[in-house]
Amino acid sequence: MRGSPGKKRYFNRSLTAENSDEIAPNRRTVLWLRRLRVMTVKEFLQFSRDWALILFMIYAFTLDIWLAGSGVKYELVNAATLVHDDDRSLESRELVSRFRPPSFDVRGQIRSTQEGIRRLDLSDAMIVVDIPPRFAESLLSGMPTAVQVQLDGSNSVLGTFAGSYVTQIVSQFGLETGLERIGLDGDKLENVPQVREEHRVWFNPNQDDRWFMSIAELLNIITLFSILLPACAMVREKEKGTIEQLLVTPVTPFQIMFPKVFSMAVVILAGTTLSLFGVLKPCFGVPFNGSLYLYYVVTLLYVFATAGLGLFISTIARNLGQAGMLAIMIYGPMIFLSGAWTPPEAMPSFMRMLMLISPLHYYIDASFGVLLKGAGLSLLRDSILGMSALGGILFGLGMWRLRTQFQ
Amino acid sequence: MKLERVFAVASREGREVVRDRLFFSMAFIIPPVLLLTFGYGLSLDVVDNPFAAVDYDRTAMSRDYLHAFIDSRYFKFKGCLENENGVFDLLASGSVRAVIIIPEHFQERLLSHRPVSVQTLIDGTFPFRAQTTIGYVEGMNRSFNTRLLSDYLAQTRGISHSRALRILDPIEVEVRYLYNQSLKSDWSLTPRLMMIVLMICPPLLTSMGVVREKETGAIYNIYASTITKGEYLLGKLSPYVGVSILNVLVLWLMAARVFGAPFKGNALFFFAASILYVICTTGMGLIVSVLVRTQVAATLITFICAVVPSVFYSGIFVPVPALSKGARILAHILPAMYYTNIVTGCFLKGIGLKMLWIDVVVLAAYAAALSSIGYFIFSKRPGS
Repeated sequence: MRGSPGKKRYFNRSLTAENSDEIAPNRRTVLWLRRLRVMTVKEFLQFSRDWALILFMIYAFTLDIWLAGSGVKYELVNAATLVHDDDRSLESRELVSRFRPPSFDVRGQIRSTQEGIRRLDLSDAMIVVDIPPRFAESLLSGMPTAVQVQLDGSNSVLGTFAGSYVTQIVSQFGLETGLERIGLDGDKLENVPQVREEHRVWFNPNQDDRWFMSIAELLNIITLFSILLPACAMVREKEKGTIEQLLVTPVTPFQIMFPKVFSMAVVILAGTTLSLFGVLKPCFGVPFNGSLYLYYVVTLLYVFATAGLGLFISTIARNLGQAGMLAIMIYGPMIFLSGAWTPPEAMPSFMRMLMLISPLHYYIDASFGVLLKGAGLSLLRDSILGMSALGGILFGLGMWRLRTQFQ
Repeated sequence: MKLERVFAVASREGREVVRDRLFFSMAFIIPPVLLLTFGYGLSLDVVDNPFAAVDYDRTAMSRDYLHAFIDSRYFKFKGCLENENGVFDLLASGSVRAVIIIPEHFQERLLSHRPVSVQTLIDGTFPFRAQTTIGYVEGMNRSFNTRLLSDYLAQTRGISHSRALRILDPIEVEVRYLYNQSLKSDWSLTPRLMMIVLMICPPLLTSMGVVREKETGAIYNIYASTITKGEYLLGKLSPYVGVSILNVLVLWLMAARVFGAPFKGNALFFFAASILYVICTTGMGLIVSVLVRTQVAATLITFICAVVPSVFYSGIFVPVPALSKGARILAHILPAMYYTNIVTGCFLKGIGLKMLWIDVVVLAAYAAALSSIGYFIFSKRPGS
């Protein structure tokens, strides 16, 4: 109820102002700004009354990001390994002992290959290592021998990891025993031509998956809200018919639309702050290497660009059901064409073209750039330009559609 | 419960869905579109990783070392740098994801039989990709070393190259990937993506259907009529379940035909299990729609609550045993994991009811529990 006396006063004043011809230009600007303010206050009020939505936003920006960040490790952890050792020699036991945690979890011996297959079927094991009889004998006498490995390939990512780790462990073991056999071990290796590979991982030295996952999820949430909230704020007016009331007031389409986008942008930035300082930093220790101001500017730019998309949806949809469906329909592809999960070079070329028109693609580059890599404005130029161009087009398009629908 | 009333509500609801052209077409377009974009867009194969090199040595051997990377299909060569000054900008802007730095005297040290270090800088933004890249780099380095060592042995010990190689690499590793021989990420992902899509769409449809009536006030007609809760809910939900069952068929066909994932299990069993799952997710939509008032809230809540837990805690990317303890408990609480087991079992492994019966029982229990919770919290006499 607090808002209504103010609104009334404003209404009267605007009527008198509109009727007199001798308004000073600066007074007109003040009036224009005041209308904008009243409309913005209205949007905030309307948002603050939807308790379910507010609670849910808090959930999305905190717990949801925490869930996404803490659940997933793209590593081979505790891979259940079974060994079928037909040799039972010192060498075969030495080889098995090299399958160590945290990557491998050797769950013991099995009697036959069939048992291994059965337990792979049951998802009870992931790797079955098969060491042939007379393994040690061949190894020590220089005869070739083979180790068979059966892997559950139904998860291709972990299958790849497991395959390459197992191969590496067995070859390394072979190399060492081979060198030992010809008397090259210990200090003598210093006099052997060898390339030592030393890698350093930048921007995330411990390869903490939580950093990537939590930031990626934050970007997803920002995207979802900045499409849906403005779109729904607009469609709700259409569905309830209140848009007709707005149309007979002196406010312009811009004054109707901009406050919706602006208020939702403020809400989204507040949510972003909550998750940056409530989840990302304290829970996952994500370092903010770049300038946070720059990150906020980039986010604001992105929210406006995406909100343009939302407004465009709102001009197509006639009710909220349609708007929600359309938003999800655009959101899904956007997430997967963003380049976070799949780099552009791994995509078919037509998908790569589509990526260029996804604002999220630019935003993801910029966000990871600022937050993890500490990139400055000069490195983000392309992303920012791309986002501004797309944002301008989308916003302009939404605006134009709305204008034509209003008239 | 009178069946006529159920039919009346169901046919009215069905008509409403069909008459809203956009909503109707979206109900059938969204699931395939999601499956297509997820399926094509979510390729976790790491190929053509862009890299640059700093070669301080510039000799035949250093070029030879780099050529292993340049010729590999896992890496894409972007050019040589004069020195390390521009490395940060290149990595930070994302134009390359790895830089190989070969020191001076690389060839000289190797020819005089001494070890030498090569440094690789890797962009760790996406740890999974970094991990895979490290694996490739190590592999290439290993094969270069094997060549070096066999040359060395052949030279110093006077044995043939092939014998030297046999000494260095005595064990052959035969890796066989069961269920997915060539480790196609399409094969392993698309069937499971069905689980995600069916987690998103049915609750979305349902919650929007129910909340629409609440928001427009049409639900007061129901409150005022003689129809019972059960009749109303059954009639209301059945068209949505119907739409979702059709979608199951479409998605199934797409996974098998478009993405070529092999279906090895029993079709009837899989279909029945999928219907159970769809009833489960529809029930979730019902609960959300009873709890919220506006359609925006309903859309957002079903979407986010459905997607994140079901993507990350269902064993799609990471098998459940590898999750942390808390996450593992969460995975067991949600229905997504059980359906994932069924999907993987039916598609890739070709196992049936005999091994998957626990998952089916849990899903059935879920379907029953969710519907009855929805039934009990839905009230025809809501407090204002």
